[in-house]
Amino acid sequence: MGEAAPALDLDPEAAQAAIEHCYDQGWSDGLPLVPATRELVDRFLAETDRPPDEVIGRMDHLGRACTVELAAVNAAMAGCLPEYFPVVLAAWEAVMRDRAAKGGGWQSTSGPAPMIVVNGTVREELGFNSTGGAFGPGFRPNATVPRAIGLIVRNAFGIRPHEFDQATQGLPGRFSICFGENEEESPWEPLSVEMGLPEGQSAVSATLLRTCEFVDNRHTVDPDQVLFDFADTIVRTGSLIFRDQSCFVVFGPEHAQLLANAGYSKTDVKDWFIDHCVRREADLRRAGKDAVGEGGLGGRGPSDGERVSPDTLTSIIPTRAQIPITVTGARNAAMSLVCRVFGTWSNTSCPIERRR
Amino acid sequence: MGSLIMDPTGQTTRAEAEMRLARRPESLRGRTVGLLDNGKQNAGRFVDELGKVLAERYSIGGVVLRKKPVATVDAPAELLDDLHDSVELVVIAVGDCGSCSAAAVADGIALERLGTPTAVVCTESFKATADAMAVVRGASGYRYATVEHPMAGLPADEVRARAEGVADEVVSLLVDAAVRRGAA
Repeated sequence: MGEAAPALDLDPEAAQAAIEHCYDQGWSDGLPLVPATRELVDRFLAETDRPPDEVIGRMDHLGRACTVELAAVNAAMAGCLPEYFPVVLAAWEAVMRDRAAKGGGWQSTSGPAPMIVVNGTVREELGFNSTGGAFGPGFRPNATVPRAIGLIVRNAFGIRPHEFDQATQGLPGRFSICFGENEEESPWEPLSVEMGLPEGQSAVSATLLRTCEFVDNRHTVDPDQVLFDFADTIVRTGSLIFRDQSCFVVFGPEHAQLLANAGYSKTDVKDWFIDHCVRREADLRRAGKDAVGEGGLGGRGPSDGERVSPDTLTSIIPTRAQIPITVTGARNAAMSLVCRVFGTWSNTSCPIERRR
Repeated sequence: MGSLIMDPTGQTTRAEAEMRLARRPESLRGRTVGLLDNGKQNAGRFVDELGKVLAERYSIGGVVLRKKPVATVDAPAELLDDLHDSVELVVIAVGDCGSCSAAAVADGIALERLGTPTAVVCTESFKATADAMAVVRGASGYRYATVEHPMAGLPADEVRARAEGVADEVVSLLVDAAVRRGAA
């Protein structure tokens, strides 16, 4: 943490002028930016062993690339503290492992939102919220790390709204979704451990989201009923456009503990979803989405109605890898979120590498 | 006092490259036209219908159909080389999403640089991103044809109507000498 200057020595008018300068340059996502100086950016760079000119992301088709230093400038402008920078770098790597992020995802009409999950001791060391209100607001690292990702996309990649960013509406909360996993109250192994990283290793997992929806079920303690409520949310046709998709289930601690107490491991929960998250062809057809079973929009011709029986079942999430599970929030009500992934997620976690 | 505020874009001002379009024929009569379907819904039907309209109205010699493997990014160089080698003119359709409209323009510019006159067709909703891609590729003011949005989900007769409606504009992009200077 930096030393707080006595308020009388600060120059708010100079700060306002610098903030307006950043707006005038077109760098802002709409909110004020912290004007980044060489000295401030160097403090970010001092938090990592990676060289400033290392390229950490490319958009070759746009003639753009992001270096460690450009990421640091954007992280500083987003309001990160220098010590968050290794988390930003890991989050960036995790997001860019998502196939859609390397293709046209940032330009998509879907306006997908990165979701960033933080594991390990870094949560406490840097103050990531992983309990009440984990999706925000009120916690600087939760708010500024995803904002840094958004600024990198805007500034380093040059993908701006109404230009290369063609989001029709965009997902609410875009570039503000970042939370710690509530490892302390989760009955299961942390997401990063499930993804093969050592216990205690601070790490980030991330993907691009298509949509989020609450599962508020305080009505029953029967695990099958609770799981059915999730499945009903997971299989909605509204956001369904591809055959291959993933769905993050972000359990609140109460739902997770209820299931664990009933004997469900994470794998058991996934297998339950694989079995139950299916749609009948007739239901998909009713929504005009019967083509999704054969590879997405526009897969079929007019004779298909006769070829495929109304009782044919399409699996919405047919494999365990497509149902990542994490736990966050307060243990104060049985609420959870179903977060539909934009494409398919990488099924990996990235270690956070702080300076040795 | 007076510290510089760092630029988060990493960009330096570039001199605008001049885009020279490929040499155009005086007419389409007898020419072989490559139709590049970018794989978006109805794109295949649209280029097919457009090929028919070009045959009916402009007596083109024939068409060669090709399909992009991925709509959202640039076509592979081999695909563009193959089109350049096997046809005299190309039509690319349809740019009707955030990334595929930009990618269609990128492909059109790439084919022009190979020397093949090309007309890109986007839906009118994506002019901003199509224009932005032209700037990125050093072809500010690059001209393309637009059809009414949407294309996906249209029944066959309306796809045909879109093709009929845009055919003359496509032809003007392929033969009109005035387009050779890009922004002209």
